[in-house]
Formats: sequence, structure tokens, C-alpha cells
Amino acid sequence: MLRCPKFELATPTSVAAATRLLADAGPSAMILAGGTDVMPNLKHELFTPALVVSLARIPELNGIRRAEDGSLVIGAMTTIEAVAANSQVRERATVLAQAASLIAGPQLRTMGTLGGNVLLETRCQWYNQSYFWRQALGFCIKKDGTKCHVVEGGAKCVAAASNDSAPALMTLDAELHFESVEGRRSVRIEEFWLGDGVFNKKINAGEILVEITLPSTPSGHRSAYGKLRERGSIDFPLLGVAARLDLGKDERVERADLVITALAARPHRVQRAGEILRGTQVGSEDFVTRVGELARLAHKQCHPLENIPGDAPWRKAMVAVYARRTLLAAAAGTGPVHHL
Amino acid sequence: MRLLNLRVNGDALSTAAPAHWTLLEVLRYRLGLTGSKQGCDKGDCGACTVLVDGKPVLSCLTLAALVEGREVTTIDGLMPAHIRAGGTGADPVQEAFDRCGALQCGFCQPGMMLSARALLNRTPHPTRAEIKDALAGNLCRCTGYTQILQAVELVIAEAGGAAVVPTDWRAELEQ
Amino acid sequence: MAARDNHGNTPPWGANFGVIGKPLRKVDGIAKATGAAIYTDDIQLPGMLHAKTLRSPHAHARVRSVDASAALALEGVHAVITGADMPIKYGVIPWTQDENALAVDRVRFIGDPVAAVAAVDEDTANAALKLIAVDYEVLHAFLDPFESLVRHEPAIHADRKEGNISKHVRLEFGEVDALAKSADVVLEDEYSFHGSTHAPIEPHCAVATFSADGLLTLWSATQITHYVHRALAQVLELPAQKIRVIQPCLGGAFGGKSDPFSLEFCVSKLAMVTGRPVKMLYTREEVFYAHRGRHPMFMKYRTAAQANGRITSVDAKILIDGGSYSSFGLVTTYYAGQLLTGPYDFPSYRFDSTRVFTNKPPCGPKRGHGSVQPRFAFEVQLDQLAERLKLDPIELRRVNFQGSQTRTVNGQRVTSNGFLECLDSVERASGWKKKRAKLPFGRGLGVAGSMYISGTNYPVYPNKMPQAGVQLKLDRSGVVTVFTGGNDIGQGSNSMCAYIVAEELGVPVEHVRVVAADTDLCPVDLGAYSSRVTFMVGNATIDACRKVRRQIVAAVAKKWAVDPGRVRLMPGVAIDLEDPAKALSTAEAFQLAEEEFDTLGATGSYNTPTLGGDYRGGSIGASPAYSFTAHVVEASVDTETGRIQVHDVWCAHDCGRALNPMLVAGQIEGSVYMGIAEALLEEHKVNRFGLHQGPSLLDYRLPTSVDTPELHALIVESLDPEGPYGAKEAGEGPLHSSIPALSNAIFDAVGIRMKHLPFTPGRVLELLREKDALEESKSAGAAARGQA
Repeated sequence: MLRCPKFELATPTSVAAATRLLADAGPSAMILAGGTDVMPNLKHELFTPALVVSLARIPELNGIRRAEDGSLVIGAMTTIEAVAANSQVRERATVLAQAASLIAGPQLRTMGTLGGNVLLETRCQWYNQSYFWRQALGFCIKKDGTKCHVVEGGAKCVAAASNDSAPALMTLDAELHFESVEGRRSVRIEEFWLGDGVFNKKINAGEILVEITLPSTPSGHRSAYGKLRERGSIDFPLLGVAARLDLGKDERVERADLVITALAARPHRVQRAGEILRGTQVGSEDFVTRVGELARLAHKQCHPLENIPGDAPWRKAMVAVYARRTLLAAAAGTGPVHHL
Repeated sequence: MRLLNLRVNGDALSTAAPAHWTLLEVLRYRLGLTGSKQGCDKGDCGACTVLVDGKPVLSCLTLAALVEGREVTTIDGLMPAHIRAGGTGADPVQEAFDRCGALQCGFCQPGMMLSARALLNRTPHPTRAEIKDALAGNLCRCTGYTQILQAVELVIAEAGGAAVVPTDWRAELEQ
Repeated sequence: MAARDNHGNTPPWGANFGVIGKPLRKVDGIAKATGAAIYTDDIQLPGMLHAKTLRSPHAHARVRSVDASAALALEGVHAVITGADMPIKYGVIPWTQDENALAVDRVRFIGDPVAAVAAVDEDTANAALKLIAVDYEVLHAFLDPFESLVRHEPAIHADRKEGNISKHVRLEFGEVDALAKSADVVLEDEYSFHGSTHAPIEPHCAVATFSADGLLTLWSATQITHYVHRALAQVLELPAQKIRVIQPCLGGAFGGKSDPFSLEFCVSKLAMVTGRPVKMLYTREEVFYAHRGRHPMFMKYRTAAQANGRITSVDAKILIDGGSYSSFGLVTTYYAGQLLTGPYDFPSYRFDSTRVFTNKPPCGPKRGHGSVQPRFAFEVQLDQLAERLKLDPIELRRVNFQGSQTRTVNGQRVTSNGFLECLDSVERASGWKKKRAKLPFGRGLGVAGSMYISGTNYPVYPNKMPQAGVQLKLDRSGVVTVFTGGNDIGQGSNSMCAYIVAEELGVPVEHVRVVAADTDLCPVDLGAYSSRVTFMVGNATIDACRKVRRQIVAAVAKKWAVDPGRVRLMPGVAIDLEDPAKALSTAEAFQLAEEEFDTLGATGSYNTPTLGGDYRGGSIGASPAYSFTAHVVEASVDTETGRIQVHDVWCAHDCGRALNPMLVAGQIEGSVYMGIAEALLEEHKVNRFGLHQGPSLLDYRLPTSVDTPELHALIVESLDPEGPYGAKEAGEGPLHSSIPALSNAIFDAVGIRMKHLPFTPGRVLELLREKDALEESKSAGAAARGQA
């Protein structure tokens, strides 16, 4: 059996205890949430921590509640399954519920957490491999090596953000809240990402993601998620598309947002989405035309690479199709957009 | 080395293993509960599925120490639990898999049957689509899933008291 | 064939079966369902060590030296072995033995085993691997089979005079070119089949012990115990009498556990060296390196026909990418041509197949060995022919049907043949006449047919002994124990034996115990490959049963003072047909027979009759019976995404007689699933560095329950004259035509020809664009002509 490297395990029961452990252990410690991403990565020796700090026994990190200001507060250790099934999330943040429902397979959704998915390691077919495999390759820029095998001669890592939750949360203006021995820090999710595949997150040493808050959405809020993958279950996205439309009077678009992921290190917010759709009436011919225009624009702006498995030219072609289908699904209040 | 106090199939069991051992490794190689299988090493196939507090999880991605205080059910425990609950023989899911031919090599099926058992515990009358969804994290290489779906549907039908007409595959009887 | 081996397809007392033909449980089903069944990795022995393999990080290199001193110095390490410890080569085909358990002086693919470590636990063994220093001289790596065809230096196997050619076969029957010249229509095209692998959910595992008195016992997840037994004796230089090989419950194989594998030799040697039990369990990644999967093939076909659709000439040229070792490659190269000559009759045929070595994981026999790829090419070409001749594709196939009790163009004897019934069955069940070419653009139906062997008369090593042997032991309690060398790999061969014994000896199935695949306890059987087990082991079981049945019947007849013809053995009871009140329990009947004839038992055997064409290689592909299959696939294509969705697959399979229709249906469904999977999702892909691009069950994508179409298994029973009660194979044939039927359905749906596997959505979009461009230019041309 492929084994985990040796480490010690800590199971703190409060955030305060966990942050203290992390501060004491320094960079040799690693946080474990649901384990569905970290465990395979450990087995591949992508990480070899001396100490693993599990958050599984910290009750305060679990649960979904509505705050006084109307925002939804989701504990970082809330499982993907719970997020997908939660009625408030389904109503007020449909795109997130849909994205969660398409993450991996049933067992992995039971185990995996929203916080873990937000912090998912970037993925690449030259990186998510065993130590033996990577050694035979001569390693890569992301781990233990100096070359990139996706873009030969490339000096920058282009491993792909592969978390379905990220684009959904971006359209929802989510805020991430971290705790460390230094105190609490909050950051808007779009400011959280770095364009570097080696590590694509602005997170400080010793910080734990504790909560994700979603500001309340207006009553005309519609959203949907589209996921391209090879199988109907288990697989990471080959493309993830989150679409948001806030509709006002006469179902006219007041705000539109389109975020696409699984391209490069960070999710991509399609420029000019709001500009193109604002003021159009959902269901009108004009709306359909403009959705097409926006989809073509998305296609122009997105450049999938051979970083994750799957045919890159096909993924590129699918940007336009999935952008359009997902926007139309959002408008119609349907979705998710998936091949099954 | 870590002392582990586990609850497995209704028993309180103590054993010791290094912290980096998974639940699957502890079940198989410390507790001798070899019903849970290892197929892919890292959460891709579902053969190692066990129930933790009634929910299907992958024991190859679960550190053993993290299920302390939780109830673990493996395939080895289904029949004894059924007997404890006043039944005879194997769990109806196990029986149905056998009767429907769903056990070819049988290697993926402990995980498959636990996913099915968890589904039926929470949704006694799932649709065929719901059954497929619930089993979509368990790869089977032998059956093409058809006889597995028939087995789950047999459990549902018989739980409702329905008599099930056996399939006949012979072509001349088609029309 | 010796007369003793053929018992006909109907028992002397009539075909009024009590057990055969019923959808009964399997003998090991409930053990598997409850987790009680013991697979190889479930075995734990006192003091057992754990072994791991060091593998080559180079696709092609000379091994200059291996230094294991630092590994040996690690606390907990008990032994390290290298190629020098086992220098004798092996290989499943005696003429092409080119493998070493561990590399002797050369590594030939990334993942080739170099050294093995036994340690107190897996972690220590893994740590030790990192301490072994290997000095490699890197050589040019062959990754393209077309390069291997023309470049022979550096030779991947230095001792072969044909350079990097593994095997070449060219056979010609009839006037191929002349008939092509005189035909009404000639079609020529190219096709290709990618590599795929078996991916059984159970990884390979082996456990060995070596006793103080020199007995080696190996438990292994193998599908051919007998060849492992022979290979161990050869490589370990032990007398075969000192070796016992046992196959525990097996978690799937599909051909992927047919060869002897490195781990079997390594655990044995390590057990001998350390005096401790040793286990090795491959990681999933290592299973991908062990491979022996479907050979990539590059195929050219030329088919000629008359205007009425009758095929007159078939000409094939095939390049086969064999990977780094021979494995079953000699047979693969023949099968690629030999197994195409049914279910259709054509008067001339030529094939020219060349298998080359490349520095990739070795290919071997995967379900439908050697013939799935040519079948794909040919059945797509037949669809093209039907299109050209404006014939219904099912009609085209009917027109060319070869019939039963006939001989193929390459001299193979065909006995029963239910192919027409298969066609009728899928035509009816799928609603073909109402739907084909009549559904809206984007959705369509396709058909294809095929044949496959039920075992082969070519034993892997030449000998005149039986190919299958069975031994029975009858207990006074009424229990019968059947000992068979047959390997149950999940297909249900142990159950099949039990059903036959129950039918023949009048015992309930649950009173039959099956002891299988243990070389100390069971008579030799050649193993689970070539779809031979039901046919051969089934016949051997009948053979054994008839001997002991005669004794039981005689003893009961004597007791009742009646003619033996009046005694009928029913499940659990012997009755007098003319006086049913006279009845004895099975146990009483057995006891009477034991009083009369002493301790009860019998052996039974099966050997094929002399078969095959009278030419070199004519016996390869010669089978005592052939199975036949027809598929109809209904699929739709999303023309915007290129995605293919398979809705339904109807597969009618002539298995002779379904000894247990539920298990036959399971084989049909599993075969169709696997065929559709490799057509759409799976690819054994080796990248530009020679590395397997995705050696995991995440990146090598097996369809899940939601990805699998509705599968309709339809059983056709042609009652073969020589099969056990008329049975033939069901485990491999039903895979073949699923793939071309899907390609043909895509043509019906959207008018594009998928001639290269896998059918990825990107490729579909590309072909759709080409088709649109062609139609545009055609209509532009027509418009221009109109203006002129």
C-alpha cells in the first residue's frame, strides 16, 4: 500500500490550542482538515511535515449559521456534503451549493470540508504523482526541481487552481477569516489568490481558515455552476464556471459576474461581464445574444494549458460553451451545468 | 506509537499504531478486519469505504486516530449487526448482492455494499438515479454495475414486501 | 480428440436439468459479501516481512552496478536482492523468454524492477529503497513503434537477431489480390487502437514461505497457478516438487494476472534468503507498470465485395506496439490476424502483423486478447461498406454469415454458430428497424458482430497431457469435494464446477465443496485465460462425474434389483423412475456405492481434439468452439461539446448454453462495460519521457455507476456439440463488437467516422468541423456549378 510518510499527529479541541500548536511547531507543521487532498499529497511525499495538526475535533469550526447582518457564516470544517444540502446555501448561494454537489464523489464530499476545498493545493499532471514518478521525471519547479514540463522552458509554475468552491465564492463576494496567535484576519476572496502555481494563496504562517462569510444576496439573485469533467463523479474540474446574475425590476440584469477556474494558478474573473449584460432583460433575445458575446469574450480571455489531464484545446473550446450554458442556467434558475 | 481506543462494529477495541497509519491499515493489519479492501492507495476507488457514524468514508484517507470516539462499521460487522437486531444470516444488502450475481471478483463490493447500506438507512426508497449517485464513488471493474443496481432494487422491493420476478436473459424469451 | 473426452451436449438421461440453466448463487458469493473471503493481501503470517521493489527511473538503460550496502545497514532490513540473485530468464511463452525477475544488466521501461527489499514493515522497506544506489548508463529510448520497426540499435533485447521486431507473421489464404481486383467495390482505410489496461480493483500481491525442510509455498493473486509453478522452479532452480502455489480468492484479473510477475519470484527468493514469510503488495502505480494490457495497434484494412455485399477479399496490415517484453506477444501477433475469420465467410484473406518492442510497460493479454483491435477496424470498415452499397448494416452482416459446422478461410473448424440469432435478437430488442437512420440528427444506432475462442488447443508449452483435470472425492455424508486446478478470478468457475457436480451426482449445490488452484491439492489445469475454463474444466468435471455416477447408479440399481436406466439422481435424492416411492437420500446412495466399489472418487480430463490449419501457426487461434456476439449501441453526440453519451447497449451473445444465465449475463454486462470504457474514457498513456502519464485510478478513468449506459444482456444458446452441456465462453467475446458498434452509432448520429481510439470529445469536434467544411465546400461547389 502507498503509505503516508511518518509524522506526529495533534488533535487540538479549540482554535486557540490549534493556533498555539502551529506557532510552536513553525513550518514543520501542516494542517489537516477533511484529508481528502492532504492525505494523497502526503502519500505522494509532496509534503513531509513533522507534525500534522488535525482540526477534526474543534466543534466551533463546524456549522452554517445566519449572522445578524444577514450574511451566511460557514465554518471552515463544514463538510462539502453539508454545504451542498443546506437549504440556506441552496437558496441564497445557489452557485456554491451546486459547485459543492459536483465536488469529487459521495464519500469525498462526506469527508471533505469547505475550508479544505478553498485551500486545495493547485494541481498539475507533472506534480500530483508519487515520489518515484517525480524522481524519474527529474522533478518540477513546484516541488524539488527547477523545470516546468507544462511550458517547456517556463520559469513560472502554472499548476491549476482546481477547487470548485473558489469561483463560486468569488461570485458571492465571500470573505475568508483566519485565526493565528497574532489574532484574526479577514480577506476578501478575490484578494486571496496569487498567480503562482507553487503556492497560490496569500496566507500567513500559523494561520487557520476558520470561517467563510457570504454577504446577503438580493432577492433577485440567481446563480449557477458549470463543471466540465470526464466522468460524472470523482473527477476534479477540467473547467469550472461560476455565474451570477442579480436581477432587478422586470428581470433586468443589475449585476453579472462570471468566474472561471481550472485554467491556471488562480480563478479568472471574466472582464466586462457586468458591462455586457447590465440592463438586459433575462429571457429576451438581446439577453441571449449578449450571453453569447460574453461567452466568446470568456473564450478569448481564457487559456487552458496542459497542466491538468485533459485535452487543452478542447478545454479552451469548452470555455465558451460552458460560460454560455451556465449563464443561461443561472438566468433560468436551473443548473448545475454538467454533462449528465 | 499511539494507543488507539476505537469502536468498531460495536466492540470497544484498543490497539497501537504509529500516528501516520490510516484507518484502513489499522483495520486490516492491526485488528485483522480484512473485509475492507485496498484498491487504489489514495481515495480514487472506494474499495476501502467504511461507515463512520453511519456515513460512508474512505478509510485509506482517514487517519486511524481521528475516528476515536466515533462508531466504525466495516463489512465484517454487517452480518453480526443484522443478527443482533433479530435477523438471521447476512444483511439483506449482502444477501441481495449474492442472489443477483453482483459479486464477481467481490473485491470492490465491501465498499459498494456499505455505500448501499448507508443510502438505504437514510433513504429507504431511493430512485434508480439516487442509487447510481450514491454508488458513484465506488468503482467496480467486473459487473458494469447492472447487477449491483438490481441487487439494491431487490432490497428495496423486498423490504416493501413485494415479490420480485427474476430476470431472464435468454433471448428467445424476449418477445 | 479421444472419445473419452467428448460427452456430447446432452446427458444420457436427458436435458431435464435440475441445476444447470438456473440463476443460482455462486458458491463463494456469501463469503465475498460478508468480508469472509480471503484474498492474498488478507493473509498475515507470524513473523512476516514486507517487501518492496526498487524500479528503474529510466526508460532504457544499462545497469552498471547496484550498491545495496546502505540499505542493508538500515535497522529492520533483512535482505536485499538484485538481478544477480535470479539471473535465469522466464516468460510465459517458452520460445520468447526475455524477462528477469529483477534487472540483470538492462532496464527496459520506467518501472522495470531492479532490486527488492524485505524488512520488518513497509515503511522500513520503503526507506531502504531510497538507500540503494544504482549506476545507470542511459540508452536511447524507443517510444514510437514506427521507430522500432526501422531502427534496431540499441536493441531492446540484445540477444535477438530480429532487432527490435518482437514477432512478424504473414499469412495468406486464397486469391487476395485477384479477388480484390475483380470486386465491385474496394474499401481501404486506416484505423488505430490505443493502449488500455485491465485495472482489476485488487492490486497484485504475493506471499511466500520457505520451510526448514525446503518447501516453498507461494500464495499469489495469479490467474494461472500452473505457469507460476513452472516459472518458479525454473528461475529459483528448485525442483517443482518443492514448490506449492496457491491462488487465494482473486480480486479481478481480465488477463492482467496471466504472466508470472516479478513479485512472485521476489517474495519467494526473499523467503528463501531470510527464512521468514514475506509479502509484497503492489501499489496501484506498480500495477500500471506491471501492465500486460491491450496492445496499441495501427491497422490498414482493405475489404473488397460484390455489389450484393458479399465480401470477397480482406487484406490487413498491422503494426503492434508490444512494449518492453514478449509476454504473450507471439500469440498476440497471430491472434491479430487469425481471429478475424468469423462470423463472416470470405474466400480470401491476408494479414501481415508485426509486433515491435518499445521502452514502455509490457503489453499482454487483455480481455479479448489480440482480436479486439482488428475487430474494431474491420467492423467499422464493414459499416463503411454498407454505407457505400446502401445496405442495412445488419443485412450486410447476414449476407456474409458463414454458417455453422463449417471451416474458416484460414482452416479453423467452426461447430455451433448462433450469430444470426444474435443479430435477430439485438435488431429486435433495440428497435433497430424503427430507429436506425431515423432518429433526429445527433442520435443514432450502430451494429457490429464478432467471434471469439472458447479455449485454444495450443497449450503454452507443448505437451500431450490433458489441458484440464478434475478430481472428485465423495463423502459418506453426501458431500462431494471437487478439486480443480482452474482459477476462479471472479468469473465463477468454481461455481460452474459445483453446478455440474450437483447436476451429475444428484446433490444439492450447497453440498459441493470446491478446492481450486492449489498445486499440491488439485490436478493441473492451464488456468484462466483464452476463455477456456468453462469449456475445458466443465468437460473435465463431467468426465469425472460420469465415472463415479455409473458406480452410484449401479449400486442403487443393484439394491433395488432394477435396471440402472431406471435410477435417476435428483438433487439430494435417488429415485426409481418407474416407482418414485422408492427413494434414497444422496448420502445413502453414496454409502451403497462405497460398500460396492470401495472408497469413492474419480478423475476427469479434457483435451482438445486435433484442430487448426495445416500451416505454421495454424493451431494458434484454433479453438474447439467459437462464441459469437452482436451488439447494437444507441448513442448521442452533443455537437457543441463533442461529448458522446451512450444510452443503451444491447449485446446478444451465443454462449452455447448458459450453465447459469445470471453469471453469463454478468460476463456480458462486464464485457460491454469494459469495451465502452476503453472506447470513451480509458487510455494507457506513456508520455514523451517514457513515463506513464497517469498511473492511478484518478487519472486512468474507470467509469462509475453514473457513467455506465443501460446494458441489456441477451443470451443465445446454440448448444455446441462438444461444450459441457453445449456451453461455450462468455467472458471475452461480448467485449469485442461493443467498440465498433459505438463507432457505427456515432456515424448514424452525426455522420462522422471514428476510426481512431479513444473517441475523445476533442476528436469528435475536430471531425464535425471537417465534415461541416467539406459540406460547405460541396454546396459552394454546387452553387458555383449552378451559376455556370
